[in-house]
Amino acid sequence: MIEIDGSEGEGGGQILRSALALSLCTAQPFRIFNIRARRPKPGLMRQHLTAVQAAATIGHATVVGAEVGSCELTFRPGTVTAGDYDFAIGTAGSCTLVLQTILPPLLTAKGRSRVRITGGTHNKAAPPVDFLQRAFLPLIERMGPRVTLELVRHGFYPRGGGEIVVTVSPTSRLERLSIPERGALVSREADAYVAGVPLHVASRELQVVGRMLSWPEDVLHVRGLPGDMGPGNALTISVGHEQVIEVFTAFGEKGVSAEAVATSAAAQTQAYLAGGAAVGPHLADQLLLPMALSGGGTFSTTSVTDHFRSQVVVTQRFLSIEPTIDGRGSIIIVRL
Amino acid sequence: MKNVVIGFLGSSLDAGGGPGRWEKWRPTVSLCQHEDLLIDRLELLYARPHQRLAEQLVEDIATVSPETTVNLHLVDPRDPWDFQEVYGALHDYARGYKFDVERERYLMHITTGTHVAQICMFLLTETRYFPASLLQSAPPRRQRAGSIGSYAVIDLDVSKYDQLAARFAREQADSTAFLKSGIATRNAAFNRTIDAIERVAIRSRSPLLLVGPTGAGKSQLASRIYDLKKLRHQVAGEFVEVNCATLRGDAAMSTLFGHVKGAFTGAQTERAGLLKKAHGGMVFLDEIGELGPDEQAMLLRAIEEKRFFPMGSDKETQSDFQLIAGTNRDLRADARAGRFREDLLARINHWTFRLPALRDRLEDIEPNVDYELEKHTRESSTTVRFNAEARRAFLKFATSGVAEWTGNFRELSAAITRMATLADGGRITEDLVAEEISRLSEQWATTHPDELNEVLSDDALAGIDLFDRVQLREVVKVCRRARSMAEAGRTLFGVSRGHRAKVNDSDRLRKYLARFQLDWETVNANRDRIGNQFVTRS
Repeated sequence: MIEIDGSEGEGGGQILRSALALSLCTAQPFRIFNIRARRPKPGLMRQHLTAVQAAATIGHATVVGAEVGSCELTFRPGTVTAGDYDFAIGTAGSCTLVLQTILPPLLTAKGRSRVRITGGTHNKAAPPVDFLQRAFLPLIERMGPRVTLELVRHGFYPRGGGEIVVTVSPTSRLERLSIPERGALVSREADAYVAGVPLHVASRELQVVGRMLSWPEDVLHVRGLPGDMGPGNALTISVGHEQVIEVFTAFGEKGVSAEAVATSAAAQTQAYLAGGAAVGPHLADQLLLPMALSGGGTFSTTSVTDHFRSQVVVTQRFLSIEPTIDGRGSIIIVRL
Repeated sequence: MKNVVIGFLGSSLDAGGGPGRWEKWRPTVSLCQHEDLLIDRLELLYARPHQRLAEQLVEDIATVSPETTVNLHLVDPRDPWDFQEVYGALHDYARGYKFDVERERYLMHITTGTHVAQICMFLLTETRYFPASLLQSAPPRRQRAGSIGSYAVIDLDVSKYDQLAARFAREQADSTAFLKSGIATRNAAFNRTIDAIERVAIRSRSPLLLVGPTGAGKSQLASRIYDLKKLRHQVAGEFVEVNCATLRGDAAMSTLFGHVKGAFTGAQTERAGLLKKAHGGMVFLDEIGELGPDEQAMLLRAIEEKRFFPMGSDKETQSDFQLIAGTNRDLRADARAGRFREDLLARINHWTFRLPALRDRLEDIEPNVDYELEKHTRESSTTVRFNAEARRAFLKFATSGVAEWTGNFRELSAAITRMATLADGGRITEDLVAEEISRLSEQWATTHPDELNEVLSDDALAGIDLFDRVQLREVVKVCRRARSMAEAGRTLFGVSRGHRAKVNDSDRLRKYLARFQLDWETVNANRDRIGNQFVTRS
C-alpha cells in the first residue's frame, strides 16, 4: 500500500486532498500518517473530514480513521461512480477545496455528474469560485471534458452558506495540455463583491485597481450582493490572454482598509502582467494533477513554490511522472 | 463516538441580528464553528421569551455546521434566577433524557445561561445526573469576523488530571506529616496506619477507635486529628479529652453528660458536661473500656441520636460531636465477658487503628528524639543538643532489646526532657546519658504489670498459694484506687458490713494484709512512686 508521511513538505491538508484524488483516479489504496503533525491542532479537522467523506462517497471507498483529530487514515477506493451528489461543508470550509478532491476522478468517470456543494465560496487560503470558473475550468475543458460551475450563492468566511453546482460531462481520456505562452491580452476585468458591507468599500477598492493598473472605469464592476449573505468582501481581478485567463483575488476583513485589500490584488496582477509566463503560482499548483493524469503536458509559470514541490512529491507516489523545471529568467517552463 | 452538547441559549451573548452578528462572538454558534470539534447534536434549552432568537440560532448553526442537528427544548422556569426552580427544571430534563453513553459523549455547555443555571448544570453534572463533561467556551481576545474564541472540556473526575492528583498527594503528605507532628517516622506499619487515618479523618465523621498501649501516642494523635479537621474547616466546636479511668460513680455521669442543680448530693449548681461542651467538635474518650455500664448506655444514645439526658434532668440535651475512643484493652473480650456493651463496641469500632508500642517501632526512636529536643528548644527557648558520642550511646541503648519502653513514647519524651533539663550549657553529655540509662533500667526492673510484683518481693510471692494470690491482687487494686483505708474497707466488705453490729472495715483489712506481711503504707508507697513517675513524664 502507498504510505504517505503527512508531515512532509508543506504538511497541510493539501497533501491529503491530492492523495484522495489520486487514489480515486488510479484505484490505489493509501495510508497517510502524521496528518498535519506540525500544526498547532494536529490531525484531521472538520473541513478535511468533509473532503474524505466526499471522496469516499463518489469512490465507494472504505475508510479507517476518519475522525476529527485523527492523525492516520487508510483509504481503499472502490469504483468511482458518476451521479448526483450533495455535500455540505461546515465552518465555512471551502467548496472549491472539496471540488478539487472529487473533480479529477469525475472527469473520466462513466457518465455525467452533478455535484452541489454548500459552504464557503470565497475563502482565504482557497481558490475562489471565480478563479475556478474563469481560469482553471476552461483549461480543464481543453483537455476533453465539459465542466460548468454555477455560483448559486456567495458564501463568505466565517458564515459560509454559499452554494455551487458543478456539472461534469466526462471524457474517456484526458488530452495533454500545452500552454508554453499566454499570447496577447484580450480581456481585463475587476469585480468587487460586497455583502452586508457599505458599497463605498467596493468603489474604493476599484479606484485603487484602476489607478495601479491604469484600467478604465468600464472594466471595474461593483457587485453588490444581498446583505443577508454578509458580511463579506472579495476583490477579483481577471486578465485574459489568448491561451489562458488568470484571476487574482484579495479578501476584505475587519480592520484592513479597502485600499490595502485592493493593493494586494493589484500588485499580484502587476507582477503577472510584467512577466511573460502563462500561469501564476496558484494555477500552476492546480494544473499539475490533471496534467499528470493526462500523461504529460507543459506550461510556463512565474515561479515554483514549495506548495508545488509538495504536489509533485505526492503525485509521484501514485503516478510515474518526472517533471522537468527549466528556468529562463522570470519564465519557468514545467514539462511533464 | 458522537458529540452531544447540552446548553442554554444565551439570551444576550447569543443575540444579534443583521450581518454584524457574524463579527461577534456568540458562544453557542461559535462552538459549532471549531474546526477541531464536530458537534453531532446540540440540545439547546431556551425560555419562552427567546423563541425567535432560538430559531435564528438553529438557522445560523445549519449554515456554519451542517453536520449538527439542533434540537430546541423549551425549559421555562418562572424565574430563571430561582435556584429551586432552575434545578428542578434541569433535573426533570436530565431524568427524562435517554443518555446513550456507549455511543455518545455528552458536553454540558455552561458558558451561557444565568449563573444559577450554570451552578445547577454543574451540580447535576457532578452528581452524574448528566453523565457529561463540562464545556466552557471563551471569547477571542479581539472580536472580529471569524474569531470564534476557544473552548475547554473539563472532566470533573479530578483524578484524571496529573497536576491536581499531584497536588492532592502533596496535600495528603502535608496532612499525614501534620498527624505525625512533623516527625519523619520510618516504621512502615505506623506510616500506613497514619495514611489510613488521614484519609478517614478527612472524609468521615464516624467514631474512630485508637487501640494501643499507654504512651503510644493515642491522646496526641487524637488532638492532631482534631487540629487537622479544624484546619480544613471540618469542625467548629471544641476538642474535649477525658480519661475514663479517672471517672467514678456520680462524678462520671455528671462529668460526661452534665447534671441539673440538685441532681445528687453536692450538685449545687447546674453543670453542662463535657459532651455538651464538645458540641460541633470532637471528644476523645481514652480508656473507654473503663466506662461503667450506665455511662456506656448513655454514651451509645449520645452517639446514635446526638441526644442524652443530663443527670436528674427530664429534658434531653443535644450535642453533635465526633467521637475518638482510645483503649489498651481487648474490648471484644470485654464484650464477650459482659464488661462492655456489644452495641457500643459495634458503634465505635467502625474505624479501628492500632498504634504500635515503641518497642515495635525502634526505627522511629531517632526521629522522635530529634522531635523531643526541638520541642524542648521551642518551649524553653534554649537549644539543647547531644554530644555526638552521647547521642550514639543513647540511641544504641534505646534501640537495643534491653530497653523495654513500657511507657512507650511518653516515657521516651520524659527521658529526653529530663536530660535536656539537666544539660549544662545545652549539651547532653555521655555522663547524663549514662545516668538516664540507669534511671530507666531501674524503672523497668521495678514496674511490672502485676500489682503484686509491685508490693511483694519475688521471694515473698513464691511463698503464696495461687488461691490467695488471686484474692490479694484484687484487694491491692482496690486499696490503690481508694483515698483511705476506710474507703477501701467499705468497698471490700460492702455486703458483710451490713450484717455486723460493729463496723470495723479498716481493722479487717489491716489484719488481712498482715497475713502477707503487708500494710497500707507499703501498698500506697508503691502507688505514689508510680504516680510520681507519671508526673515527671507528662
